[in-house]
Amino acid sequence: MITTYLFFGFALLAVLGALGLIIFKHPMNGAMSFVVTLISLAGLYALLSAKLIFAIQLIVYAGAIMSLILFIIMFLNIQEKDLPLDPNRWFYLAGGIVVVAPIAGLLIKISKSLPATEVTVFEDGFGGVKEVGQLLFTQWLLPFEIVSILLLVALVGAVVLAGKRGVN
Amino acid sequence: MSALDILLVILRIAFGAFVPLSFVAVLVWMERRGAAFFQDRAGPNRCNVLGFRAGGLIQNAADGIKLAFKEDIVPGHVKHKFYFILAPMLVFITALLCFAVIPFADVLILGDKHYIMQAIPMDIGILWFLAVVGFGVYGIILAGWSSHNKYGVLGGLRAAAQVISYEIPMGLALVSLLAVYGTVNLTEMAQFQGRLLFGFIPMWGFVLQPLGVIIFIVAAFAETNRTPFDLAEGESEIVAGYHVEYSSMKFALFFMGEYVAMFVSSALIVTLYFGSYQIPWFTTETLVTYARPVVIAIMIGLPVIGYFFAEWMKRNNRSHYYRENDPRQKETAVYVALLWSLVAILEVVLLVYLVFAHGGVADRILVALLQIGTFLFKTFLMCFVYVWVRWTLPRFRYDQLQKIGWEKLLPLALLNIFITSAIIVSFG
Repeated sequence: MITTYLFFGFALLAVLGALGLIIFKHPMNGAMSFVVTLISLAGLYALLSAKLIFAIQLIVYAGAIMSLILFIIMFLNIQEKDLPLDPNRWFYLAGGIVVVAPIAGLLIKISKSLPATEVTVFEDGFGGVKEVGQLLFTQWLLPFEIVSILLLVALVGAVVLAGKRGVN
Repeated sequence: MSALDILLVILRIAFGAFVPLSFVAVLVWMERRGAAFFQDRAGPNRCNVLGFRAGGLIQNAADGIKLAFKEDIVPGHVKHKFYFILAPMLVFITALLCFAVIPFADVLILGDKHYIMQAIPMDIGILWFLAVVGFGVYGIILAGWSSHNKYGVLGGLRAAAQVISYEIPMGLALVSLLAVYGTVNLTEMAQFQGRLLFGFIPMWGFVLQPLGVIIFIVAAFAETNRTPFDLAEGESEIVAGYHVEYSSMKFALFFMGEYVAMFVSSALIVTLYFGSYQIPWFTTETLVTYARPVVIAIMIGLPVIGYFFAEWMKRNNRSHYYRENDPRQKETAVYVALLWSLVAILEVVLLVYLVFAHGGVADRILVALLQIGTFLFKTFLMCFVYVWVRWTLPRFRYDQLQKIGWEKLLPLALLNIFITSAIIVSFG
C-alpha cells in the first residue's frame, strides 16, 4: 500500500524535475531540477528492489556527474544574460509536442493493453550487490568487458583531446 | 510489528540522529582543548555556570546561545535565496545521513528475532556512504555560488574540486578492502573483523590493508575539508571560503556539519579498519557466554579507573597560584563527588544484573551496550587523530593538494588493488 503512494510520489517528482529541466531558463535551476529527477528515479529503482542500481544511480548520476555539471556552471559563472536569445522556442516546443504526441498515444495504448497480473515478490537477494555481480561476471562477462573497453577508449580520447590544447 | 520492534526502531533511529549531534559538542570542546594543549596555552577556561566550567564544555553552550541569538542576515546581493538557504541544510543533513548505515553493535538477538544495529538496517552499506557523501558537494557548490562573492566562489571551487578528486583514491582504497571482506555490508565487515589471524592477531582492517588504511584516512581528511586540506576555508587567503556570507544559525549549520562529518568519517574509519565495535579477542559469542566474569571484572575495574580519574582531576583542576578558599578546588570536589556517585550507580546496576537478571536476553543487551561503548570510544580516539593532525600539519598549497591526490594516492591505491587481489587469488 505504502509502496503505491511512494511510487506516485517519486513518479510525480521525476516528471516535475524533467519539466523543470526544460522550462527553467537559468542553467543552475535546470541542473537542480534534473538532480531531483535522478534522485526520484533512484527511489523508483529501490521500489523495484534493485538495490545495486539504486546505489549506482545515486553515486554515479546524482552524485558524480551532476556535481561535475554544477561545478562547471559555477566555474563558468553562466548568467541569464550570457544565454543566447531564443525567440522561437515556444514555436519549437509546440512543434515538438505535435511530433511526439502520436508516440505518447501509442505508449498509453500499450500500457492499457498490458494484462493485469498479480505483482510477484522476488526471492530474497534479488537485485543485491552479490547477485548482480555473480550474474555480471559469469553470464555477461564478455558484454561487460566490451562496454568497459568502450569507456576506456572514451577516457583516452578525452585525455588526448584535452592534452592537445595544453601543448599549444 | 510488536511493541518491541517499534521500540527498537525508535531507539536505533534516535541513536543514529542524536549521537552525532551530541558528539558535535564533544568535538568542538576537544578541538579547543587540543589546540590549547598543542600550542601550550590554557584553552577555554572562563565561561562558567555558578563557577562550574566542566573543563571548558560550558564555552560550547555560550557559543550555541550566541549563534542562535545573532541576527540572521541574507545579504541583499544574493539573487538565488532558495539555494542560499538550501546549501547549509544540505551540508548538515548529508553529513548526518551518512551515519545511518554504520553499525554500532553486533546484531542483537532477542529471543528468536534479529535486530541489525544500524539506524537504517540496509545492506548496501558502504555504497550508501559513497552516495550521500557525493551529495554533500552540492551544499558546498551551492553555498559558494549563491553567495555571489569572489571569496565564496573561490572557496566553493576549491572545495568541490578537492572533494571530487579525493573520492577517487577513497573509492579505490575501498575496492581492495571490499575484495578482502567479500561484502559491502558494514555489519558483515564488522563481524569479519572479530576473527583472528594466525590465531592471535585480531583480523582488523588495518592489519590486512596497511597501505589501504593510509590512503583511506588521507582521503577521508580531504573529504571532510579538514586541515591540512582546509584550503576551501583558508582564513588567511580567502577569509572563510564558501561560508563567508553566512551568519547566525546558517553558519552554525555549516560549522556543525563539519564536525558531524568528522565524527561520521571517524566512525567509518573505525568500522572499516579498526574493528568497529569488536573488543579484541572477545567476540560477541564469547562475551555472551562469559557475561558474568566480564561483569565482575568491570565491577572491579570501575572503582580503580574512578580513583585514578579523580586523582588526575584533583592534580590538574586547581589554581596555579595561592588563592584563599580556592574556588577551583571546590569545583573539583563536586566533580569528584559526581564521579563517585556515577561509579556507585553503575556498580548497583551491575550488581542487580548479577543477582537477578543474568542469562538470556539480559546478557545480549549487556553485550550490545559494551559494544556500543567500545565503538564510541574508538571513534572518540579517531576524532582525536583529526584534531591532532589539524594542529600539527600546516595547510597544503593547492597544487600540492592536487598532486598528492592524483600522482601519489591514485597510483598507490591501484598498486594496493593489484597486490591485494594477487594475495587473495593465491592464498584465499
